[in-house]
Amino acid sequence: MIISKQKEFDVILRNLKEEDIFIIGCGKCAKKLRVGGEPEVLQMKTKLEKAGKNIIGWTVLSSACYIRSWEEVLTQNPAIKKAHALLVMSCGGGISVISGFADIPAYPALDTESLGGTCCEETVKDQCGMCGDCIIWMYGGICPLSQCAKTLLNGPCGGAKDGKCEVDDRLCVWDAIFERLKKIGKLEYLDVLRAPRDHTRNRRSNV
Amino acid sequence: MSFSDKLLTGEFIVTAEISPPKGTEIRPLLSEAARLKSLVDAINVTDNPRAIMRMSPAAVCWLLQGKGYETIMHITCRDRNRLALQSDLLGAHAMGIRNILIMTGDHPEKGDHEGAKPVYDLDSVQVLSLIRKLNNGFDCSGNRLEGMTDFTPGAVSNTQLSDVSMIKLRKKINMGASFIQTQAVFDTDSMSNFMDKIDMISSKRPVIIAGIIPLRSEKSARFLNENIAGIKVPDNIINRMREANDPASEGIEIAAELIRKLRSLCDGIHIMPIRDHKNTKHILETAGIR
Ligand code: SF4
Ligand code: SF4
Repeated sequence: MIISKQKEFDVILRNLKEEDIFIIGCGKCAKKLRVGGEPEVLQMKTKLEKAGKNIIGWTVLSSACYIRSWEEVLTQNPAIKKAHALLVMSCGGGISVISGFADIPAYPALDTESLGGTCCEETVKDQCGMCGDCIIWMYGGICPLSQCAKTLLNGPCGGAKDGKCEVDDRLCVWDAIFERLKKIGKLEYLDVLRAPRDHTRNRRSNV
Repeated sequence: MSFSDKLLTGEFIVTAEISPPKGTEIRPLLSEAARLKSLVDAINVTDNPRAIMRMSPAAVCWLLQGKGYETIMHITCRDRNRLALQSDLLGAHAMGIRNILIMTGDHPEKGDHEGAKPVYDLDSVQVLSLIRKLNNGFDCSGNRLEGMTDFTPGAVSNTQLSDVSMIKLRKKINMGASFIQTQAVFDTDSMSNFMDKIDMISSKRPVIIAGIIPLRSEKSARFLNENIAGIKVPDNIINRMREANDPASEGIEIAAELIRKLRSLCDGIHIMPIRDHKNTKHILETAGIR
């Protein structure tokens, strides 16, 4: 699941100079995370109207990143043709697909944070940094590229204090990696010198 | 005798740390270095410490070496990818710098350019392995160099280590760290445990140089405990600082006592003062090693 959260309303408003707006939500991850499903789209509509915008329509697509025919979207939502801008409540994948079809500006209402999942009702983020060369097995299924703030491959930085990462309140992921590898009887994976990553495996990713 | 030769003789090593200036004014740097003249075996020069932007450590090492000081250049993984690391290392070599201390480096968020891109293209173990390659005449990709390097690489460590940190330290030693400079030590029992652990994980022990931070006040002790990873000032030392009439002299006395005890425990000490090196000479004399 793609983890995203709503931008601050002030930021949305600052970007959105146009008056006649059509809002598009997404029925997949954004809906499950309660940031871009029907209730959130309706809340956004009310807030924007209070701020003086003219909301000429809204819809929640079954998935914003998977659009077979824009014609079909337009047939079901003819108001889009009258809009001067779209406000898209989906992840970056969704808004980029929609922007490719639309001939008016599309603005994101969400900030896409990471690739995560839901485990025992709990949403977990930063599970994968999409590096293009999956080595998560070396770390017992806990990815240091997405969960260590320094993307280290050979062990922790030494900056953790009382088990917490140097940069925030999250636990240093290396203790979890150690415990997991111990549990599955593969601690020897940690002894191996891990070579520098090959960044040609994903030329356009940051990790 | 050079620092690297001294590492081999078993002589007790004394190093001290200086941070480059934030700006172009180098006079305070030079007077700090003058305080260390003929006191230390080498001066460590930090690399944007705590992610606060300062002058390049290579430039500062070069300035100091020109004035007759031997230096240990810090290099962090935070700011340079493998191309920049290598070209800076080759440049440092051309400037006569031979001793390199490798560390991960504090995250940019801790410093004064919070939004800077954290690089960490290589980690500290990988940089040690890179230096081994450069010393053998090859670059990171395996291309042959015209002229190999002759670096003495060192690594850093906390003295109280989790299981997983221990594994990483073993990798650093296996990758050729010939000396280890530790985070500040205030408790010789934990240092002695650390030395036992090092003996367990390495067949040939690197030279272990214990960090010393002379305390200035009870407040500075508490600050270290609360803010700096890997430092634990024990209660008895905090009490001594609180009860002292002259906390600064008490701090000097505590540092000197620690050094006297560490002499029989490890292979050297490294002084990292909170402000400047005004008291460093006095500390080393009180400890009886200079
Ligand atoms: S190793 Fe790469 S692909 Fe695998 S989980 Fe981590 S970032 Fe994702
Ligand atoms: S404290 Fe742990 S998780 Fe945080 S940057 Fe250091 S090694 Fe990575």
